[in-house]
Amino acid sequence: MTNDGGWFDRFVDSLPERGWFKFLSTYVVVPYWVWRDPKPKLPGGPRASAQPSENVQRMMNLIMPLKDSSPIGRAKAALAIAQNVDEIFAGLDNVGTVHTARFLLLDDYICMISVYDGDFSNYIRDFIATIGSVFDEVVSLVEGGDDLIPTTHNVERFIDWVHAHDLFQAPDFPTDLFGLQDTASGRSPDSPPHELRSLPRELILQLNANPNISLGGGYRAYPGFSAAQVRGKFGVGW
Amino acid sequence: MNTEFDSNDLQGNILRGYRRDLVRYLILEVDNPAAARRFLAAAVAGNNDAVPAITREKSWTRKPGFCFNIGLTYEGLRALGTPSDCLATFPTEFVQGMTHRAIKLGDFGTSAPANWAPPFNHPERVHVVASVYANDTPQLDQVQDQVARAFNVLGVRNGYNLEDDKVYFGYVDNISQPRFNRIDDPDQAKVDEPIDPLGTILLGYPTRFEDVLFRVPSPAELGHNGTFNAFRILAQDVAGFERYLDTAADALLRHPDVDQLLAPGEEDRIGAGLDRHGALREIVAAQMCGRWRNGVSYEASPDAAVVPDPRAPKFRTNFDYDRTSRCPAGSHMRRVNPRGGPIVQRIANYTRRLVRRGMSYGPRDVDPRKPENDDQEWGLLGNFIGANLGAQFEAVMCDWLNLGLQDPNITGSNDPLFGANSPESSWFDLTLRNGGTIRLRGFPRFVTTRGGAYLFLPSLPAIRYLSELNG
Amino acid sequence: MEDPGIAERLVDSLVRPDGSPKKRPVHTIGIGATGSFLASHVARDYCISKHFQGTETPVTVRFSNGSGSAVQHDGWSDVRGMATRFHLDDGTATDLIAMTLPEFFTPTPETFLDFALAAKPAKFSRESPWRKILDMLKLTPPMRDPYPGETVRPDEGAMRFADRNGYAQLAVFQAAAIGAPASYDRASYHAVHTFVITAPDGTRRWVRFTWQPIAGVLDTNPNAPPEDVYLQDKLRERLALAPARFSLMMSIGEIGDAFDDPTRPWPPHRVRVMMGTLTLDTVVKDQEADCERLSFNPGLLTDGIEPSGDLVLRARKDVYEISSKRRGAVPCPFSRSQANDE
Ligand code: HEM
Ligand code: HEM
Repeated sequence: MTNDGGWFDRFVDSLPERGWFKFLSTYVVVPYWVWRDPKPKLPGGPRASAQPSENVQRMMNLIMPLKDSSPIGRAKAALAIAQNVDEIFAGLDNVGTVHTARFLLLDDYICMISVYDGDFSNYIRDFIATIGSVFDEVVSLVEGGDDLIPTTHNVERFIDWVHAHDLFQAPDFPTDLFGLQDTASGRSPDSPPHELRSLPRELILQLNANPNISLGGGYRAYPGFSAAQVRGKFGVGW
Repeated sequence: MNTEFDSNDLQGNILRGYRRDLVRYLILEVDNPAAARRFLAAAVAGNNDAVPAITREKSWTRKPGFCFNIGLTYEGLRALGTPSDCLATFPTEFVQGMTHRAIKLGDFGTSAPANWAPPFNHPERVHVVASVYANDTPQLDQVQDQVARAFNVLGVRNGYNLEDDKVYFGYVDNISQPRFNRIDDPDQAKVDEPIDPLGTILLGYPTRFEDVLFRVPSPAELGHNGTFNAFRILAQDVAGFERYLDTAADALLRHPDVDQLLAPGEEDRIGAGLDRHGALREIVAAQMCGRWRNGVSYEASPDAAVVPDPRAPKFRTNFDYDRTSRCPAGSHMRRVNPRGGPIVQRIANYTRRLVRRGMSYGPRDVDPRKPENDDQEWGLLGNFIGANLGAQFEAVMCDWLNLGLQDPNITGSNDPLFGANSPESSWFDLTLRNGGTIRLRGFPRFVTTRGGAYLFLPSLPAIRYLSELNG
Repeated sequence: MEDPGIAERLVDSLVRPDGSPKKRPVHTIGIGATGSFLASHVARDYCISKHFQGTETPVTVRFSNGSGSAVQHDGWSDVRGMATRFHLDDGTATDLIAMTLPEFFTPTPETFLDFALAAKPAKFSRESPWRKILDMLKLTPPMRDPYPGETVRPDEGAMRFADRNGYAQLAVFQAAAIGAPASYDRASYHAVHTFVITAPDGTRRWVRFTWQPIAGVLDTNPNAPPEDVYLQDKLRERLALAPARFSLMMSIGEIGDAFDDPTRPWPPHRVRVMMGTLTLDTVVKDQEADCERLSFNPGLLTDGIEPSGDLVLRARKDVYEISSKRRGAVPCPFSRSQANDE
């Protein structure tokens, strides 16, 4: 945009692109705000919702830090998954509510990404019941995972743990962040309303508490339908 | 693991119902922890005339005058002085409490905790819910007076058994319950449903999920043989329900397929003296529930409510569902217990069983079906008991009773009787003789949550443990 | 309506000094085009309205800049409008009025009156460099610099209103950053309100509509100097080459959704039905007679589509009629759906 506010104004407008100013923002301004207005980490996974279409095709983005992220450690993780393909596929088929599921090795993490129908705890619990042994193997590769083994005897703790490692899902509508932050801090949402222009700051501070997040609830090609409904329509049996 | 089972250690309201005429729930705050603990010590010991004794699970020879039991919320355990490292071993849903799980339970809109009746609108003060069962009111009053000496009574809820075990809406209730090995229950003698492992209802035993054990809160003395209870106060819109049946029957009379729902001339099989409209009302009511209002299973008798022996096991408990079932997949019965029928979560059949204890409430001298009495409230004081609230009560509520994930033909719809419905979006498919369906719409919410709490039902040794805490 | 004067007062509240009494008080600058709408093969399963039955329905569309200024500033950040009239085969018509903002500012006509007064375009001063630095240190974005020649704008008033009224925040936030489309046919337009449609079996569904450009959504570069006049030429140019097409997407509401509240959009996860395709091939020849003097009205519905309980939607029927009368336009055709006569 053209600027007719004079050289100083032009200079100020360019600040966000200047290295020293970026440095100042990153190491002084943001830490100051983090100190002044710390945000609790927002919980992972899709939020409870009344609408059926919010309760199908939900996303799990489980990001678990590897104990050993060297090529050897990664190979171990790769093998653990490869050797359990039968277990995993049979488990997913019989849990019945999963659209897609896959594992990734990404930097220092092993990630489990899936789209599932219904309640998160039920999904994980049913899954443990069928392939608890595979979960044992996976979490044995992950920091903090040893306390959860055997998962079949630590169902409640495992569910909480998975929940904590599932990525926070940013709201579909940006201003809803205010309400989520209020709720997490035990305040009643949006009363009184927040200063609208503080939204970018709130986002920055939240990203400090939740550095990895899922951006929005994502796109769906055929929203509102369960995996079993899709299978049913195709005549492949549910 | 200790699987030794001494039924004498259990509170008596877990494995069996008491079959008394009246119940009173005392909603209590622990305002003097020392007094409360002294009370609990005496209640377990049962040796103090000024303190009601906890009723135990045992077959009594002479029925006691009243039965007395307690459940505690997380706040209640804390108020009694339970150490925080023990509190941390309780499951998250219990720690958070029922109000924090509201959306999952369908408690939004008019059912939202913010709209609950006192004292449930202040969940942090609800510490203990004590139940007193008796056949007369003076007994209840006497126990209440005794309890009030040790606790702050925040509220009182009175319930009663309607004739023939009925609930408002007119259905016979309390027919199907889980059954357990090692428990000898004459009510269940002729039931042929699978035996449920003890871990369904008690902490510390194998569950229906192979290899899965639910965590027993520690110390074992506190957790073992305990269980959890979702206590719910559920208001029933009786007039609204009967009105809906009228509207539905009106619409069905005009429907081209109506004869597939009710063959002409068969009205008498639905109820003596019913006209076609009246019979269609009953068919809609029966399909919504999965039982005719007289208790006869719709699956076992889809074309007739009038059967020679409605109390025969085959009409009450001994039936199963399959792909050709006439009992709609969306009915209350099939949602809350799909039995061995086909479900999407193939590994979940029989894993979400609940023990139910309920009694009705509301003014008894006024007709709830009359719209002019709309300002009065009737409903159910319900207890939904299981070893794991998340795996049983919540799992049923959020995936099956609402949402209908277990069958693609009902996914996206909620329980027509008890679900979180709005007329704009609700639907339910009636089944027809020829295998077809008729979709009904416009169901309002017939049942509104008015209060409730997640409770831990401790064993007798656990109550003793609590009574010996300090702080 | 409870308050017979509200519609008049709403129209009054929109009048601005740089507008024109002969023109629309908002969405003042616009251009008309014609073409046809072809319903998808599933549309008729959801709605009995004539234009959803699968035969081609001729349409007139007016694209507009949301501003009430009579001076054209296409390149300025602004909400854009797309008013569509379906000419049904029985000689009647139905309108679908949409805009690039997915939600509205207020839940009721009365609160909109408050908003319109609070956010009346007003003189503003450029944010000083010192103030900008302060904003950067507060991690809040500075207010947008004025465009060349821009002396009044609603932004400051709207922002103050949103700080006091949470319901307005989403619309104000999104409107502030909405930018300018590369062409009128390169934007998505939302009809915002909930409508109730009736299916052949009598089923009524609570739904919301959105037009999506098949060519894709494309905005101008917000950092480049804005052009004042390009959108109308661009549309002429593009239609001369090839028709512009839009998909009509419909979301079905579910329990707990804001059926009657236009400030709350529905998440993009509702069951979504592809209702049909709009093809625009001709720019209206006589813009004055066949577009500018037309009157669209969101209350002009047809059998099979009714308004929801949304109070803003219901109020708009009178508002648009009054506005049309004031500027001496051709009145909108008599609406035949009885639901509109309430
Ligand atoms: C006001 C609320 C409710 C009323 C009036 C009600 C009524 C009934 C009735 C009449 C039956 C059939 C009788 C029987 O089989 O014992 C039944 C069965 C049952 N209900 Fe409900 N119900 C209510 C809410 C709930 C809720 C919220 C749940 C679960 C979360 C639930 C779980 C069950 C179960 C598990 C059965 C037994 C099904 C079977 O084993 O086949 N009910 N209910
Ligand atoms: C209370 C709320 C509203 C008021 C008072 C209002 C007022 C007006 C008025 C007075 C006009 C000029 C009508 C004429 O002279 O023909 C107009 C045009 C327009 N409005 Fe609204 N409006 C409101 C809400 C909305 C909403 C929610 C939308 C989007 C869905 C919208 C989109 C439009 C569009 C696209 C036009 C231009 C129509 C054309 O091209 O002729 N308005 N509005």
